[in-house]
Amino acid sequence: MTWLPFIIIIPLFGAFSMPIVSLLKGKAKEIWATIISFTTLMVGIQVFREVWNRGTIVYALGSETPFGKANFPIRIVWEVDKFGAIMVLIITLVSFLAVLYSIEYMKHDTGLEKYYTLILILELGMLGIAITGDIFNFYVFLEIMSIASYALVAFRNDTWEAIEAGIKYMFVGSLASSLVLLGIALLYGQYGTLTMGYLAVKMSENPTIVAKIALSLFLGGLLFKSGASPVHMWLADAHPAAPSSISAMLSGLVIKVGGIYAIARVVFSIFLPAINLATVGWLVIIFACITLIVGNAMAVVQEDMKRLLAYSSVGQIGYILLGLGIGMVAYGSKIGELALAGAIYHIVNHAMMKALLFLVAGAVLHELGTRNLNELSGLAKTMPKTTFAFLIGAAAIVGMPPLNGFASKWLIYESSALFNPIIGSIAIIGTAFCTAAYVRVLFTFFGRPNEKVMRAKDPGALMLIPMFILVIAIILMGIFPWQISDKIMIPAARNLWDITSYVMTLMGGG
Amino acid sequence: MKRALAFLSLMIIFAALMVALSPGYGIKFGLGGEDWKRYRYTDDYYIKHGLEDVGGMNIVTDIVFDYRGYDTIGEATVLFTAIAGAVALLRPWRRERNE
Repeated sequence: MTWLPFIIIIPLFGAFSMPIVSLLKGKAKEIWATIISFTTLMVGIQVFREVWNRGTIVYALGSETPFGKANFPIRIVWEVDKFGAIMVLIITLVSFLAVLYSIEYMKHDTGLEKYYTLILILELGMLGIAITGDIFNFYVFLEIMSIASYALVAFRNDTWEAIEAGIKYMFVGSLASSLVLLGIALLYGQYGTLTMGYLAVKMSENPTIVAKIALSLFLGGLLFKSGASPVHMWLADAHPAAPSSISAMLSGLVIKVGGIYAIARVVFSIFLPAINLATVGWLVIIFACITLIVGNAMAVVQEDMKRLLAYSSVGQIGYILLGLGIGMVAYGSKIGELALAGAIYHIVNHAMMKALLFLVAGAVLHELGTRNLNELSGLAKTMPKTTFAFLIGAAAIVGMPPLNGFASKWLIYESSALFNPIIGSIAIIGTAFCTAAYVRVLFTFFGRPNEKVMRAKDPGALMLIPMFILVIAIILMGIFPWQISDKIMIPAARNLWDITSYVMTLMGGG
Repeated sequence: MKRALAFLSLMIIFAALMVALSPGYGIKFGLGGEDWKRYRYTDDYYIKHGLEDVGGMNIVTDIVFDYRGYDTIGEATVLFTAIAGAVALLRPWRRERNE
């Protein structure tokens, strides 16, 4: 008996029953969405504990084993290793907080039953990506996630920027998804199977040029989804235009699950036997360095608060990609292990910090109706709790020692400096820009209040509770940084590297 | 400049795909005999065992609703999402309170 199926069943049931539940007037849809996402969080915690106690879970859909009468998988499998379990946990946590936050934040909007349907489907799509072990199934859930996020970005259809951002995101996003589909078609044509672990087996027997072309198509599509630098422009438009609860999910989760997690899974669990890992690793490192500099530098010059946070997300994706790239080039060494653990750790940390920062930005927007930083001076006087939450989030994202961002960034700095000092110094320059951007915002917040700000007050409890849950989580994780990295992140990184055990667990030998 | 670069990279991608689809280097077309067993073993299994495993005469529906039924749930969800999204975006604009 495993809890794993319920991680899909519950949000699916919640999303499909939402149109019926919302026939009840009043707060029924909000309460229903909160119940569903809370139950999903509980199942997520349970799945995480299960994977941690018993190792990788393999689950075949429709049968006891994925094999039938053959000696190769014929059914769809789920395969959740430690990295997948971490993603499941962080997805369910941030989604629950975003749903809770929306109750008050979205109350002036119309069409809320569609909003809650879409937000549950967004969560469902990301969970599907995190647990799947089948490459076509991965594509299906990538599409579910993408379509839900296109609709949610453009949800406020009475503002021009939401529609513009939605169109931009949709046009280029569907192009990127189709690159992934093309890659899957090539792989199926060459190797005749869709299961990730078995594809790795077939690929190790017969590495062909088709595999390399498919990998480059995958990388192209998935780097777009993660907002790496030459293709980050959709992100800078989508985040300011979306409702803040959605920006928190987009920036905290979507770019990591659809981008970083997918790249790591595809490269380490499918293509590792067939390719030269160092080449792919250097490619990722180059993109990471560009992303780091461009994202953080553009964050410094922004006047719009949410646009600043969006560019800062691009910059932080650069760190995660850097850790991932070094983890590929230095495969099997101590440095690579540290870098990969740092990348996984930073995924979790950045999901929490950036969710917090976007929730704060949403509170400011909700109370004052403006995102322009020049009009927000002196916010600390009238919105002290919100400003405190922002202070914690900003300090964590810069990497101040008592908070959680320190340890993950330290792992990435340490490994990149040991790996190549030039790359280490690029990482430091990125952080300098990042610090400048956030210090500038904090100076504004603590400045002399202007008359617009004087009328503001802190938002209600339903908006403050999710923020302070995240603040507490950030502080608590900051108290035990090395314990978390030794007990959770380094085993997860080793687990991700270990393709033999990934394949063996699938084939029933391990 | 940008357009020329984009066109150039499209050409490169197109050339790479042509290489991948040429029988000498990559994917073969019109598989038969030994190649069928070698490249389409999964399809071979579905055709041979579909009837006894699932009980339907139609192999495609056997695959789509049994072997890979989970993907079909996903596709249904995609449609549901698309409809929910389209309806959400085409709803009337919200009115200001003093209107």
